[in-house]
Amino acid sequence: MKVLNDQVFSSVESIQQRFREVEYICSKHIATTLYVAYNLEKPVLVEGPAGVGKTDLAQRAAAVLHLPLIRLQCYEGLDESKAIYEWKYGKQLLYTQILKDKLNDIIKGTDSLAESIKALHKYDDIFFSYEFLEPRPLLMALQQSGGAVLLIDEVDKADEEFEAFLLEALSEFQVSIPEIGTIRAEHKPFVFLTSNNTKELSDALKRRCLHLFIPFPDAKMEREIIQIRVPEVSERLRRQLVAFIQQVRKLDIKKMPSISETIDWARVLLALNAEKLDVETVKETLNVFLKFEEDIGVVKEHLPEMTSNAVKEGGE
Amino acid sequence: MKVEQVLHDFISSLRSFGVRISTSESMDAFRAAELVGYQDREILKTSLSAALAKTAGEEEKFNECFALFFSFNSFPDDETEHILRADSQHPVSPLTRMLISRNHAELMASLMEAVEEAKTSEIKFFTQKGLYTHRILSRMGIDGLDRDIMLFRQENTPGSIQQAVQLQEARDRLFENVRDFVEREHDLYARAPTEDIMERYLKNAKLGELEKSDYDRMYVIVRKMAKRLSDIYSRRMRSFRRGHLDVRKTLRKNMAYEGVPFDIEWKKKKIDRPDVIVICDVSRSMTTVVRFFLLLVYSLNKAIIKIRSFIFCSNIIEASSVFDDYPVQEAVAKLQTGTGLDIKLGSTDYGRAFLDFRKNWLNAVTRKTSVIILGDARNNYGEPQTAALSLIQKRSKRVIWLNPESRAFWGTGDSEMKKYLPYCNIARECNTLSQLERAIDSLL
Repeated sequence: MKVLNDQVFSSVESIQQRFREVEYICSKHIATTLYVAYNLEKPVLVEGPAGVGKTDLAQRAAAVLHLPLIRLQCYEGLDESKAIYEWKYGKQLLYTQILKDKLNDIIKGTDSLAESIKALHKYDDIFFSYEFLEPRPLLMALQQSGGAVLLIDEVDKADEEFEAFLLEALSEFQVSIPEIGTIRAEHKPFVFLTSNNTKELSDALKRRCLHLFIPFPDAKMEREIIQIRVPEVSERLRRQLVAFIQQVRKLDIKKMPSISETIDWARVLLALNAEKLDVETVKETLNVFLKFEEDIGVVKEHLPEMTSNAVKEGGE
Repeated sequence: MKVEQVLHDFISSLRSFGVRISTSESMDAFRAAELVGYQDREILKTSLSAALAKTAGEEEKFNECFALFFSFNSFPDDETEHILRADSQHPVSPLTRMLISRNHAELMASLMEAVEEAKTSEIKFFTQKGLYTHRILSRMGIDGLDRDIMLFRQENTPGSIQQAVQLQEARDRLFENVRDFVEREHDLYARAPTEDIMERYLKNAKLGELEKSDYDRMYVIVRKMAKRLSDIYSRRMRSFRRGHLDVRKTLRKNMAYEGVPFDIEWKKKKIDRPDVIVICDVSRSMTTVVRFFLLLVYSLNKAIIKIRSFIFCSNIIEASSVFDDYPVQEAVAKLQTGTGLDIKLGSTDYGRAFLDFRKNWLNAVTRKTSVIILGDARNNYGEPQTAALSLIQKRSKRVIWLNPESRAFWGTGDSEMKKYLPYCNIARECNTLSQLERAIDSLL
């Protein structure tokens, strides 16, 4: 993947530029980390509150690089047979049944059991070859001939044992299969791991990754995001709604509105043909970006004041 | 100094800030720095941070250290006019010559050399700042400079007097520079040991005797302890249940052997997160201990411990909701003043508290519950109601009593500790942060 896409990742500015083209606003911080990670061929561990675009970052990276995105969703109990590879047992059984006669032919001329087994040994590799291998996301990512973007989502949900499997895959970009040997990546995939920090990841895993923390965006960046994602919203409304959301994030509430919820809200306001924010409209659409009854209550308390602030900040 | 050396020093000072950095990570940092170059400060900072700081906490430390380290700017250009003459009657010391000729590069080199010899990076305590300043200055040849100044004075011609005055000024500036330099070195390298000593002291200091000014530092330590405990126990949540076959998994795994179970899978079980009921005496004598205990318990990750808390003084109330509604620090403060709560802060009544608890909340105590009682058992000569405690103990997994008084005082005066003792599975003296930590450790 390096040769093909070196131009895209030749500088921090060009990364920002190319991501903008696929409708993703990359702060300089994010772009720099991607630049370093790509050029050093290191996995990136992305952390941050829910809904700031951690998963999206990987998806957009795949789009920018014109590479397939391979996604591995982690959960408790995920094991190597679901993450790395598995043998196609059914196919193996079926083939041995179909090929029964052929097998008989092979062992026909032999007299003793030892000899039959010896004869069979010549062929036993056939049943443990690539044809009977079911590659799962990790192996699939290594096998992509042009390289790939591998997204390991919510890695903190996986078990400790699974983290250990990841170590080999991420540091050497290789997977060991006892029956076949070690499969090495021709083109190292660009790896993203995301974590919501429900559990501390092991130090060994962290050591192998570059760390990227994505916080909630500041007002300027959020306006840019809205502009690029919902371009139909007027400049004035955009300023106002972003100013409002930024105020909401300062309140003590259970779940902060994420970027995706800001975008949703912008779309809703657009559908309602709202020209500017007013207390009534905000009150009716609060549930678009607040997901708890208590949170809505908290915001409602300060509603007139916050709306007027947002309107003031956004310019009349 | 070469660029690699700078980066190397930066990494070691980052370590002294308490960021753990492995060799492979520092290699990443070197490669990243080589890749992005040193032109753009922001890009360099982000790249290094991505390679070296792996958690939010570490990132904070990284930013602090980066700012300190790279603000280093040894000799600011002197704006004052120098009219030092080089044409002197007698030979002058090298340092004097450097100051006269205003050769900054040479001065800088001489300083770095002196710094190297004085080993300022080994500075440990702030009391050593003076020592190191003098060590560096004497390595740079301050004695020669002083002698020259004296000689100029003795010459006593208008020109030489002026020369002496200006040299004196230059000397003062040099002194300030070196002192500032040592200060910065101290901030960079000596933080860890000094903080360590404070931390060790505070961990073992009697909670009741702490100054208010130490509270901030205590909160930091408590948070660290809580994080450590959370880290340890969040990773130890699963274990094997011996001898129970996991049929589903075994069948799937052994499909390859036509269902003949070669490879056996055992059932695993989750360790139950501890279910804890905390009963705290919030009378005045207990204030600080309760404060830090609750702070520690509630700072633990919710995933590893389940808590219901009750507080009592003259009567007992449930306080869990306060912790649901407010951040920990605020909640603790609220409990202590009793604002908005239905608690009477009269004389402490353990007997009544146990009776009321038995009446209203005994259902909350199950076979899995650990009941922690935090109190000095000073009951103001009231009826201890040991039967109620006994019942609580019978229903629960265990009763742990944490008493801030030392064992020798148990049972003296109005202390009923001796009477309660038979109904406690564990009773401990608990008056310092380390003791608190150990108590919670044993709980998990």
